Amino acid sequence: MRTLLWFVVVLVTAPCYVNAQINLQITKEGGQALPIAIAPLRSADGAGSGDEFAEVLSRDLDLSGYFHVISRGATADSEEGVLAEQINFQNWSALGALALVKGALSSDGNGLVAEVRIFDVAQQKQIGGKRYRGERRELRRMAHRFADEVMLLLTGERGPFDSRIAFVSTRAGGRAKELYVTDLSGRQVTALTHDRSLNLGPSWDPNANMLAYCSYRYGGPYPYLLNVRTGEQTRLSSTVGYSGGRWSPDGSTVAVSLEQDGNSDLFLLTPEGRVVRRLTDDPGIDVSPTWSPDGRRLAFCSSRRGGPQIYVMEVDSGNIRRLTFRGDYNTSPAWSPKGDLIAYTTRSGGFRVMAIPANGGEAREIAAGEDPSWSPDGRYVVLSHRGRLLVARKDGNSVKELTRGGGDDTSPAWSPRLE
Amino acid sequence: MRNMSMWCWRVLGVFLIALTVSGCPKRQEAPTESELGGPGGAGRGLGSGGLQDRNLAAKDPGQRTRERVESEGSDRGSGGPLSDVYFAYDAFDLSAEARDTLQANAGWLKNNSAAKVEIEGHCDERGTVEYNLALGAKRAKAARDYLVNLGVDAGQLSTISYGEELPVCKESTESCWQQNRRAHFLLVGR
Repeated sequence: MRTLLWFVVVLVTAPCYVNAQINLQITKEGGQALPIAIAPLRSADGAGSGDEFAEVLSRDLDLSGYFHVISRGATADSEEGVLAEQINFQNWSALGALALVKGALSSDGNGLVAEVRIFDVAQQKQIGGKRYRGERRELRRMAHRFADEVMLLLTGERGPFDSRIAFVSTRAGGRAKELYVTDLSGRQVTALTHDRSLNLGPSWDPNANMLAYCSYRYGGPYPYLLNVRTGEQTRLSSTVGYSGGRWSPDGSTVAVSLEQDGNSDLFLLTPEGRVVRRLTDDPGIDVSPTWSPDGRRLAFCSSRRGGPQIYVMEVDSGNIRRLTFRGDYNTSPAWSPKGDLIAYTTRSGGFRVMAIPANGGEAREIAAGEDPSWSPDGRYVVLSHRGRLLVARKDGNSVKELTRGGGDDTSPAWSPRLE
Repeated sequence: MRNMSMWCWRVLGVFLIALTVSGCPKRQEAPTESELGGPGGAGRGLGSGGLQDRNLAAKDPGQRTRERVESEGSDRGSGGPLSDVYFAYDAFDLSAEARDTLQANAGWLKNNSAAKVEIEGHCDERGTVEYNLALGAKRAKAARDYLVNLGVDAGQLSTISYGEELPVCKESTESCWQQNRRAHFLLVGR
């Protein structure tokens, strides 16, 4: 196993960051997008693609909905330096940019160093900077890291882009469904299964190393675990009739739905597949459990009173209360990692992703689509709509396309932040 | 001020050298030795695990699903003389028509007691994957129970839910959805 060495160093502004005040701030959700210019990173000695770094960063910041990324092509004066005193800010200001990202790539043995800075164009000064050092193949991760940093600087909260999204797709052809994983560019897609069978409903463990999913590769459907690093797949349980599950926030258990004799109920399993206990015993369908971030409650979908609705259970006491009352078809709940909201799918005409306060209240629409999964910062959901994956801000003010893969992309699962 | 600045840069330089020598300090933005592959690296090893149990014998229980997946949207012929039964949206109760079909299927199964059938529960594309898996199981069970009540040997019957995964009709129209909301009888042995 190769060990990676990651360095992240704050590039301190001279003189010693005495003036840390940042005038550029995005405070209001749904406010004006901040115009930001992203110059291709200079690549000293063919160390890596400065264009690729800028492209990944641009895509992340566009996906965030907080930024208007100014087209790079016409703007770049390739001779211009990357330090504040070397930059002609008037030129960038003339393009409408309020913020500017510049940087450089250089070789470091077999590795790569990226130094990236962000400037306040009006104030003509650096407001943040990072140095990343790692293997060459990690260029894109460095760009995602920096996107998260820009989000932290300008919205006050770290971004969710250094993460992954697992999903199900028919892009390999026919009716077969395989698992895939992509970075947040949506363009670094790796196939995880190659069964020519049905693999469904991926769910990440808290360390973003393992996926629990549903597979028909040996009949079933059975619950499986897939180690995303090694590709190793193991059957979690020999109990047939699995329809899906979610890891608890502490990783100690997986809440699952298992069908026995035609009826689906919820159970708690250990990651080794041992049944800890039964959670529900009802003649209606109980599926799609999702944990509150403190691990004390589970939201789930149940047809116990007719059409499917969202219910919330206290795990210890087993007390259950109904959460959704509007509409006759509400499914696939997803509890925000911030705890405040539960997203779910409703059918009203087409299918829509809604968000409702976890303690009950008015639901608000996020976007058309289904099967929401929250970003690790709780500001976005990824969802599927007409065979594509979309990233939507929870207020619904920004909806962007993540994938378009030549097959049906469905059942997205947004990973926790990568370490 | 100029001296101050120089001093700062020197301190910073020493700090950076220290970092290079010692690895990163325990700071939030400094993940020193993580073993996560980058997006490109994630491909290494992936898939090899998926291939480790190939050379499947004919008895492999996953074979049947793969054949159904490969059948490219058609159930034709796979049920022999047994007909599908159809369901209303988000429902698994048997209509009068469905019960008639099951009567006919039961007659054949009783006359062919060596026949083995896997009853597949299917849904249309509307709704979510997990809920539809559970709903498909209800449909397969409803069909199975009705056959057993009509005197079919339970040992001839098994059930599986395919949810919305194996539609026979791919258009988004009611007539198409109606064809997909079915219990299909797959003849698996005679």
